[in-house]
Amino acid sequence: MKFDLMSTGVGGEGVLTIGVIIARAANLEGYYVRGLQLHGLAQRGGTIPTFVRFGDEKEISSPGIMQANADLILAFEPLEAVRATFYARKEKTTFVINNHPYIPIYANLNNIPYPSLDKILKKIKPFAKDIHVFDTNNLAKKEFGDVIFGNTILLGIAVGKGLIPLKEESLRESIKITVPKGVESNLKAFDFGLNIGKSHTRVE
Amino acid sequence: MGIEILEKPGKKVVLLGNEAIARGSIEAGVGVVACYPGTPSSEVPLALSGVAKEVGFYFEYSANEKVAVETATGAAWSGVRSLTAMKHYGLNVASDSVLPIAYLGVKGGLVLMVADDPQGWSSVQSEQDSRYFAKMGKIPMIEPTNPQECLDYTKLAFDMSEEFELPIFLRTTTKTSHSIGTVKLGKIKPPKIKGFFKKDPARFNSIQRPNLQIFHEKLIKKLENIEKKYSSKLNVVFKGKGDIGIITSGVSFGYVKEVLQMFHADLPIAKLGLTFPLSERFVSDFIRGKKKVIVVEELEPILEDFVRQTAKDVNSDLIIHGKDVFPTVGEYNLETIIPGFEKILSKRIGIDFKKHKKNVDNALKDLPPRKPVFCPGCPHRSTFYAVKKVFGENTVYSGDIGCYALGIFEPFKMQDFVVSMGASLGIGHGISEVSDQDVVAFIGDSTFFHAGMAGLVNLKFNNGKSPLVVVLDNNITAMTGHQPNPGTGITGMGKKVDPVKIEDVAKSLGAEVRVANSFNQKQLIDALNELKKMKGPRVLVSRGECRLLTKRLMYKRGVKLPVFEIVNQKNFEGNANDVLNNFSCPGVIKEKENGKTIYKIDQNMCWGCSVCMQISPEGSIKPKRDENEV
Repeated sequence: MKFDLMSTGVGGEGVLTIGVIIARAANLEGYYVRGLQLHGLAQRGGTIPTFVRFGDEKEISSPGIMQANADLILAFEPLEAVRATFYARKEKTTFVINNHPYIPIYANLNNIPYPSLDKILKKIKPFAKDIHVFDTNNLAKKEFGDVIFGNTILLGIAVGKGLIPLKEESLRESIKITVPKGVESNLKAFDFGLNIGKSHTRVE
Repeated sequence: MGIEILEKPGKKVVLLGNEAIARGSIEAGVGVVACYPGTPSSEVPLALSGVAKEVGFYFEYSANEKVAVETATGAAWSGVRSLTAMKHYGLNVASDSVLPIAYLGVKGGLVLMVADDPQGWSSVQSEQDSRYFAKMGKIPMIEPTNPQECLDYTKLAFDMSEEFELPIFLRTTTKTSHSIGTVKLGKIKPPKIKGFFKKDPARFNSIQRPNLQIFHEKLIKKLENIEKKYSSKLNVVFKGKGDIGIITSGVSFGYVKEVLQMFHADLPIAKLGLTFPLSERFVSDFIRGKKKVIVVEELEPILEDFVRQTAKDVNSDLIIHGKDVFPTVGEYNLETIIPGFEKILSKRIGIDFKKHKKNVDNALKDLPPRKPVFCPGCPHRSTFYAVKKVFGENTVYSGDIGCYALGIFEPFKMQDFVVSMGASLGIGHGISEVSDQDVVAFIGDSTFFHAGMAGLVNLKFNNGKSPLVVVLDNNITAMTGHQPNPGTGITGMGKKVDPVKIEDVAKSLGAEVRVANSFNQKQLIDALNELKKMKGPRVLVSRGECRLLTKRLMYKRGVKLPVFEIVNQKNFEGNANDVLNNFSCPGVIKEKENGKTIYKIDQNMCWGCSVCMQISPEGSIKPKRDENEV
């Protein structure tokens, strides 16, 4: 067994933390884990892709996911979901997208407007088996008063939909070790997402 | 991911390669760690700094890599196990001391971790291959392939170092340092932190001839013995079938293994953990009887050249592939090496990478790019904006290494070149000397302490034409993850100390100095205008704390940053283009609502620096009142 997960978004959004939560949850279940984090220059408001791979040790030895080969892409920003298509293909990849744009200053400076959600989905479709879209920042703001929990909600949704082959309990346990300071709110946000994932019809 | 590096022996945790190196040092009982932060190595000191007190070893952020290596060496000479970690360009700075230390040897183990950065994820200088330093300095070098080996090899490096009384290079590339992986933890040896320097002229006196030659000969002998003892421990053959073999090392080993699975090819692999000295015996044994070998290594063909040389005596008919099919430029991953394998093995794996890339490029074609930008509320944005107001587009802007290197991008374009730590002053001086152009040299606080002071005193010493030096003092080494520097007032152990004030240093080095608050446009512009009229060495210290740090510190204390809002659209329009196009904070956005242009401050992207209010017409932007605020 081998599961290739990519999470992507904009530097400063906490994308790395979600990757760490998933990696640790996989470790708790006894899977062999590899993956990649980007640090440094790219973090400052730029695109930050993170890879988490888990499964049998003999099947995983490279830290990165090969292009067109991700099983799941968690995109915390819609434009970055399009950029992640490099790692996606129609037969294999599911997208879960937080529809909350961070408009790059270059949209204004280079006079290239930020695309509409319709246009974004149209671009992703040829690379996707399935696409799920939620504005989890908005949900977080409404439910918890802070957009910061949007990421955890999105993670909960993906798990609730059965898109990450890990147990709810291991993810909860991993949240406890990874974000000890905000653990209660994050667990609530995770469960909130989980319920949406289990019950919600698609928004797309 | 740092909190797990002190977990119990036997436990399996997920660590970054760099964190695994940190854990390996702790398991080895390291007593002294001295580093200057440089990505991709910076998580080694970050992880160690956080636990130094608890574990009981000494940790320091040194002023630069050369000082760090010297500090670690002094401790190692006194019998204490010591570590330094640096990026490839840090090794260039440190090399002045590293090379002689190999001749003199060590007593306590001394491990020099160096991270190369093919592709330049965190470096602007070059795709340097530091393996050449091992060869040039005759210093043993070992290379882990994954986080588990990062831990194991670090421990082994300390043992090797003490056994042969030599410093040992532990080399990674970006994707070894920044990859995560399952790591099984070992036992922690309590650190030995107390040492004693025993005078030993016969050992340390390299001035008296012919000692230098004797030391050199001894070093050659040591390398021979290291090869004899450690080749079998660090160089491993993974058995396979057929007369084609693969020789590889470092992160490339992981790619090779996975690529071979995709090809369903069960070829033997020789993995080299000891990349200096390379073992002739090991390579000879592997290539004997083979028809073909494929050498897979990032950057320069160092293993490949060695295999060619060895094959001449052992197997002169051997066909050797390497840089003929794999790139020298850039880093490797699965897709970069697959085409080479397809060529050599005359087999396809059925993915059309070119077509896929074309489809992706097509999808991305009309999308706005997202390059790295200054954070909302960044003091550098404000400083660059003010400098451009006073100095315009035509001034030569000499650049340096740090977050402010992002000033190279639009809309500022105020780093005409970025060369190396501290180079803004020297190069700016050279241009000033021969041209009549205005020159402004930008340098950060940490970079100033690291390598800028000599450049500044040189301006005074030569009393010639001089650039205006702008020190962007955000009170921290920001780009690499907020490490303290001499100006911060806190050490790597978390101890409060007197900060070294840049204005004091600059004054004593002979410069005319002004200090301005980075978040106060009027102060900046007044100081810049004043300095512009002067000649000779002049320094503006633009001081404003890294906003990301302020934000984090306030979040910890439960205090929210103030947030601003546009309260008068009409007024704001008066200078809207300047705010959006020249100041360009990601928090200020332009939207269309019912065909009308509306300006907004994204409340999640405003970090409350107030500069947009200062540069907008009066009454158009105001701090937002929040009823919920404490």
